[in-house]
Amino acid sequence: MSLWRQSLEVSRVDLLVERRLGDTYRIVLPFAVVAMMIFSLALPSSVTDIGDVGVAVFWAVAILYGMQVALRTSLTETQQRRDTVMLLGLDPAARFAGRSMAAFVLLSAFMGILLVAMILLFSPELPRGWLIATLGAILLASAGLAMLAVLAGEVSAGLRNRSTLAPLIIAPLVVPLVIGASQVLESIARGDGILVWILLLITADLALLTVGVGLAKPLEEASR
Amino acid sequence: MKRVQIMLLIAALALAAGALLAYSAPLDRLQGEFTRLLYVHVPTLWIAFLAFGLTALGSVMYLIRKKERWDRLAAGSAELGVLFSVVGVFTGMVWGQAVWGQAWDWSDARLATTAVMIFVYIGYLALRQATADPEKRARRSAILGTIAVVQVPLVYFSVNLWRTLHQTQSIRPDGTTMDPEMLVALLVNVGAFSLAFIALLMGRMLVTRLELVAGADTELAGDTVSPPRLSEIEDV
Repeated sequence: MSLWRQSLEVSRVDLLVERRLGDTYRIVLPFAVVAMMIFSLALPSSVTDIGDVGVAVFWAVAILYGMQVALRTSLTETQQRRDTVMLLGLDPAARFAGRSMAAFVLLSAFMGILLVAMILLFSPELPRGWLIATLGAILLASAGLAMLAVLAGEVSAGLRNRSTLAPLIIAPLVVPLVIGASQVLESIARGDGILVWILLLITADLALLTVGVGLAKPLEEASR
Repeated sequence: MKRVQIMLLIAALALAAGALLAYSAPLDRLQGEFTRLLYVHVPTLWIAFLAFGLTALGSVMYLIRKKERWDRLAAGSAELGVLFSVVGVFTGMVWGQAVWGQAWDWSDARLATTAVMIFVYIGYLALRQATADPEKRARRSAILGTIAVVQVPLVYFSVNLWRTLHQTQSIRPDGTTMDPEMLVALLVNVGAFSLAFIALLMGRMLVTRLELVAGADTELAGDTVSPPRLSEIEDV
């Protein structure tokens, strides 16, 4: 079986498990929407137009709650399953790629729904061309966050404080993605070019892909 | 042990010489006495970059060679990198309060990325702390140490790429904008802090080796206590 087919198979299984458990859309998504509402309630009275902070709130919630999506409990594997998968001869790079692809699909849809929720809740003034630029930023940020979460999930696998440790590992490393994604819309609003921010996102994604595939074998050993 | 003591003594002498030069160097007309913070702020942050670079080197070498000493190098460098960067940030904040009128500005790219870099390595140290088995700890942290270093160039070049209050580099390949006396004092301090870093790193690596030899890895909280079995409790 080719690397690509193996990756697709891993991804399919992850998505199937997620569909059965429903962590993302039954738990994390409503939680994230509530967080957006709490944000709007907590704003000081000096903020007269709530729409001004909508995009910033969207990216903060999308990235922070996106970590929960990417580190969802359905990813947790028993030692026996890990051993079986290894004995079956699954390529570690395919495992990394497959898991990242599944997380990417979930995160893209999650952020897309959150974007709609943000527009309904905050009614921000959006500049021309915002939709394509924001969707592009969502896709690139989702890809980076997915790979980072798979890496962090693997290095913290089996630890009793995984649920708190993995976000601590991811949160500071996700900064280039947050900067790139949030600056895309701001640049359009200012009338500046967005190429530099798209390039930052692409560079971060490529760096994570290279590290993830290159370190797939030691990553698999480390998580055992 | 003897080598570490000799290195600490040399570092202490170099730091004393650096302090003397910093005290005798001319002051900036506008910054006054706060100019002297430069001789601690710049060297400590330079050492922090060096330390995080060594963490990455140790991590990559551990993944290739699987030798425990590379893991000790990575761990010791990360600890010292966090220590030196906190000192560097603190001195920068004191200087910023005096010269800019504010200690911190979140819209400043250099300040924000430096703070983030410290948290990356706090996460690295937390991962080490959470993993009890030495071999697992070394493997897992080697992977994170390899990934974490991508933040370092982002911090260094942030002053050239983003909006920032922080000035750009004063020493560049095409020359320097500093007074020659101040430059000498700065370079001597960079050397002195580097020696201090090497001495502390040697000491930390020695302590880690002794801990491993003595099996001093403490068990995680909870592992030392097991619940009583119901059959052992009377009157249940």
